Amino acid sequence: MIEECVQQNALAQRQQCDREDADLLKRIQRSDQRALATLYDRYAPVFYPFALRITGSHEVAEEVVHDVFVQVWEKGNSYATQNGSVYAWLAALSRMKALEKVRTSNQKKKGSDGEALQPRAPLENEEKQGGQETILVFKGYAEEVRNMLKNLSKLELRLLELSYYEGQSQSDLARMLRIPLGTIKAKMRRGIQKLRQAPAQEGKRP
Amino acid sequence: MKTEEQRHSQLELCIPYVFGRLNPGNRKQFEAHLETGCEQCKRELSELYEAIALLPLLLKQEAPPSGLRQRILSRLSSKRSEPPRAAKPIPQRGVVEASVTKAPPRSWYLYASIVMGVLLIISLLFFLNDQLRTTGELEKKLTDLQAQIQEKQDILGILQVQKVEILQLANMDAGSQAFGRVFWEPEKRHAVVQVVNLIAEPADKQYQLWLVKEKKYLRVGEFDVNKEKSNVFAVMTLPVGERQEIEGFAITLEPRGGSTQPSGAIQLRGATK
Repeated sequence: MIEECVQQNALAQRQQCDREDADLLKRIQRSDQRALATLYDRYAPVFYPFALRITGSHEVAEEVVHDVFVQVWEKGNSYATQNGSVYAWLAALSRMKALEKVRTSNQKKKGSDGEALQPRAPLENEEKQGGQETILVFKGYAEEVRNMLKNLSKLELRLLELSYYEGQSQSDLARMLRIPLGTIKAKMRRGIQKLRQAPAQEGKRP
Repeated sequence: MKTEEQRHSQLELCIPYVFGRLNPGNRKQFEAHLETGCEQCKRELSELYEAIALLPLLLKQEAPPSGLRQRILSRLSSKRSEPPRAAKPIPQRGVVEASVTKAPPRSWYLYASIVMGVLLIISLLFFLNDQLRTTGELEKKLTDLQAQIQEKQDILGILQVQKVEILQLANMDAGSQAFGRVFWEPEKRHAVVQVVNLIAEPADKQYQLWLVKEKKYLRVGEFDVNKEKSNVFAVMTLPVGERQEIEGFAITLEPRGGSTQPSGAIQLRGATK
């Protein structure tokens, strides 16, 4: 019963954030700089460490966050509902830009002796705890997600992380981990299915 | 008409598509399929984007370097006031240099006119540069004013509706002269919060409005109190709109970006019952 209450509260927080984000995006489309500043204050602390996790470089992660918010300002009207919520759209943009930077860097460094960008391994317990001392966007909801992810097997989570943070294809994963492609596909599907059981996802289903 | 099997094969492509791992041929084909308006695939994509976007929430949050916010905001202003390419001095200098090297040195007054011409062009460029800078500053001011007008229109839009609810907020500190009001439109859940005489927040903090429902604090939104203004309005969207569902409102001072539950002392509070 208590658990159900916590879940409902987390869901309400997330839905409230989604509504506010949609309002902010509308104001950004009308060239309201303060709305962009609010969206930045809310999500830069999420997407900066995210870009850092993908690129392994503080400098490049900063460039990623810069490019994402400039793109939101310039092309805010390219958002479509099939991209999910505004938060999910921003996450997809951040991931795409970070992976692009890694690819470009790898191509440049291929012929030279310099080091290419490498994904940064998470610090010990970092992915489990979240930041206690920094601003947390929908903290209760994030805690719910963390609890829910305990249902994922280690392999399911590993496959999702390799695909998400390193851009590995399912065939690459099959080769790298020496696991049949069919198993990789099934495990990833199951992992995603478990992610879809998060409170906000449940709330969105008819 | 597509068979169940064909639809299934398109749904299979959704996962590699959201991970950006479809080959160009399949991606083009899948995007063409989306353009046909397949609601099932669009819903599937939306849910998949939403699901994988949960992963960044597992990372420890960390604010980017402090200058980045300002760099982005100034980029938005400067982008609109960027001087046109024709104003750059480089091509003109090239023309002058070419004329110096190629023209035959007929007499002193020819050199004098060239030098005068160069000086004139340089002065003209300085003048244009000043004008462009002024134009840029004016455009920035215009953007700020447009944003302020938009906000005022949003506020008026809420205050002008026929059915608007009002709740007074009283301060919790006997020594303070601060007070506030919340106006809201129950149907659309649009709200305006007005605060008077609240002290300006420190740089790392923001005021946050909470809605109290069933003795729980629901986050509404954050706002800043400008040092120069004693009377501040902010537009927000409420999680619920009907008066009987709302027990009251409260305002606290929270870390910038907002909190999910109040962590600071209550500055202003009002109850509906």
